[in-house]
Amino acid sequence: MSIFESIKMAFSSLFAHKLRSILTMLGIIIGVGSVIAVVAIGQGGEAVLKSMFSGEANTIELMYMPSDEEIEADPSILYEDAFTQTDIDMIESIPEIEKVVSSSTESTNVRYQQESTESMVIGINQAYIDVHGLEIAHGRNLVAADFLGGSRAAIVSEEMKDELFEDGEEKDASELLGTVVYMNNQPIEIVGILEAEDNFFGLSMNSAYIPMNTWQTVFADTAITEVSIKANSADELEIAGEKAAAMLNTFHEKDDAYQILNMEEIADGIGKITRIMTIIISSIAGVSLLVGGIGVMNIMLVSVTERTREIGVRMSLGATRGQILFQFLVEAMTLTLIGGLIGMALGSGTALLVSHFAGWQPLVSLPVIVGGILFSMLIGVVFGLLPANKASRLDPIESLRYE
Amino acid sequence: MIELHNIVKSYLVAGEDLVVLKDIHLTIEQGEFVAIMGPSGSGKSTLMNIIGCLDKPTSGEYHLQKKLVSDYNEKELAGVRNQSIGFVFQQFQLLPRLTALQNVELPMIYAGIGKKERIERAEDALDKVGLKDRMNHLPNELSGGQKQRVAIARSIVNEPSIILADEPTGALDTKTGEQIMDMFTLLNKEGTTVILVTHEAEVASYAERTVFVRDGELTSADEVVGHEALEKLRTKHDSAEQNNERGNFVNLEDVFEETETDDGTKGEEEATH
Ligand SMILES: Nc1ncnc2c1ncn2[C@@H]1O[C@H](COP(=O)(O)OP(=O)(O)OP(=O)(O)O)[C@@H](O)[C@H]1O
Ligand SMILES: [Mg+2]
Repeated sequence: MSIFESIKMAFSSLFAHKLRSILTMLGIIIGVGSVIAVVAIGQGGEAVLKSMFSGEANTIELMYMPSDEEIEADPSILYEDAFTQTDIDMIESIPEIEKVVSSSTESTNVRYQQESTESMVIGINQAYIDVHGLEIAHGRNLVAADFLGGSRAAIVSEEMKDELFEDGEEKDASELLGTVVYMNNQPIEIVGILEAEDNFFGLSMNSAYIPMNTWQTVFADTAITEVSIKANSADELEIAGEKAAAMLNTFHEKDDAYQILNMEEIADGIGKITRIMTIIISSIAGVSLLVGGIGVMNIMLVSVTERTREIGVRMSLGATRGQILFQFLVEAMTLTLIGGLIGMALGSGTALLVSHFAGWQPLVSLPVIVGGILFSMLIGVVFGLLPANKASRLDPIESLRYE
Repeated sequence: MIELHNIVKSYLVAGEDLVVLKDIHLTIEQGEFVAIMGPSGSGKSTLMNIIGCLDKPTSGEYHLQKKLVSDYNEKELAGVRNQSIGFVFQQFQLLPRLTALQNVELPMIYAGIGKKERIERAEDALDKVGLKDRMNHLPNELSGGQKQRVAIARSIVNEPSIILADEPTGALDTKTGEQIMDMFTLLNKEGTTVILVTHEAEVASYAERTVFVRDGELTSADEVVGHEALEKLRTKHDSAEQNNERGNFVNLEDVFEETETDDGTKGEEEATH
């Protein structure tokens, strides 16, 4: 008897009890489906988190983080400006560095006529736009002239626009361009409106971008809070960062206050978290698979009892005990394999759906799929063995007489 | 050729040996048509199952085609059941979810025959029992007689040398029973050994030879029933065949009553039951 015959036989007997077969598969479907979904979503999410921390567009962040000793030696160190324009100009001279992105953020009140809102006002330099590429929906982006002249121009987020202008009858966004709003009581003209972001995490923020010079004037503050660098190539990023940190430490006579954000550590940390999550959810899925497997065993035992006569007939027609064992084993395997495939489809579908809405790369990898298929077949073998063995040991005469 | 020597079959029931077959000697040549008769519980089915290699005797020797059956292992026994023996049961024993054709295919599946040849041969076998037009029917769409014909087609499809039928007409009405018996007669004429178990003398009368199981022992039916009575039945059956119209099956008890009037001692023996 060929394996093809056995599989056909298995299908026909599973098909004869459709509802029962599907209910039995449910445990396997849920188990396999959740493993696939969790692993795929987990890996996709991990990739996104890592990319978020390692910065977009291959940038590395410089940080001003005085050590405890330094603070103890001179507490005023905390109140020093983290970065100044001088620092930026200085590290820009490092050969490996292509661009230095700098920005300063202040939370402040933004007012338009009677409406006002609390918002993040971010001062940025030209490189910021070059690297992060702010998407403009209406109006124009900030251009070189704005940065050089320190013009009082702002591009604002969709949210800020809604907060400030939503009361009036629905205005066309482009009509708002040129409107003057007050940020920290200083008049600023809206020249552009950002594209609404539909990020899984961000609900994009109520924020406005203005040139760094303007920001420094508006807030009467020369501090630059965030500096990140873009190297000529990704390989040089680490070196460029270290050189920049060393240069700043020397210049400011600090030991180690200027540092680069250690990406590897963060990536490891994220990896650890997602791994733990994966293990936890996989254990739950494992329990579901175990319960599913026991369900398969139970139904197969019922099936063997129900088909006692059939087994007797088959033996009288020349089926060997091995063939009977094989038939039931294949049936159990077919049951779990179909369950596994359905679970895989549902799990992948869920992963794709979540990834789609979260806006990250779906990661349903081949090893996971192959592993899932093999594993669900293994469950069939493991939990089908007992019933199949029972079937093969039946006495043909007793079986033929079974009512 | 079937040769049984000193066959004993006993079951352990409640700690005691229940001897079902005491000491069976039986030789059946290739091509014979043998009926096994006897009262209920006398061990007819047990004997059939031993002959069919479904059951093993407690002791004794069984030679099938000159080979000692007890030497066969499990797999070889399955092979013998598949190749050399065709079973026909009282309750038909068709698999309910398979069509007539698929039921007839079963023995060939276990013989490892390919799909195409299987279908061809199954169709031929069904044609032989006159059911080719019903081959895609499920068993519950067939009458009792049709089911038994499918079962016969299934039993002959691997061209076995022996057909074993345990009360093949037991669940059928007289008329249908006759059709089935005609079929066995035909198969026997083609050279197949046919062994059948029956309660009914009318059915047994189709056979060339009848053996009688009583209290686990074997006697020639001729001795028990009386040669004359059996001859009488045979003639009756032959003449009926000529007229193409048969009377009711004669009950075994009636045969005994007849013999009783002939010979009082036989009647006494029967009275002990
Ligand atoms: N597995 C078993 N365990 C114990 N006793 C059994 C077993 N199988 C059969 N027997 C006994 O063996 C005896 C013979 O049974 P068998 O089925 O061969 O009778 P039979 O001649 O075919 O009867 P019937 O004409 O009613 O079919 C019976 O008394 C039965 O109770
Ligand atoms: Mg019987």
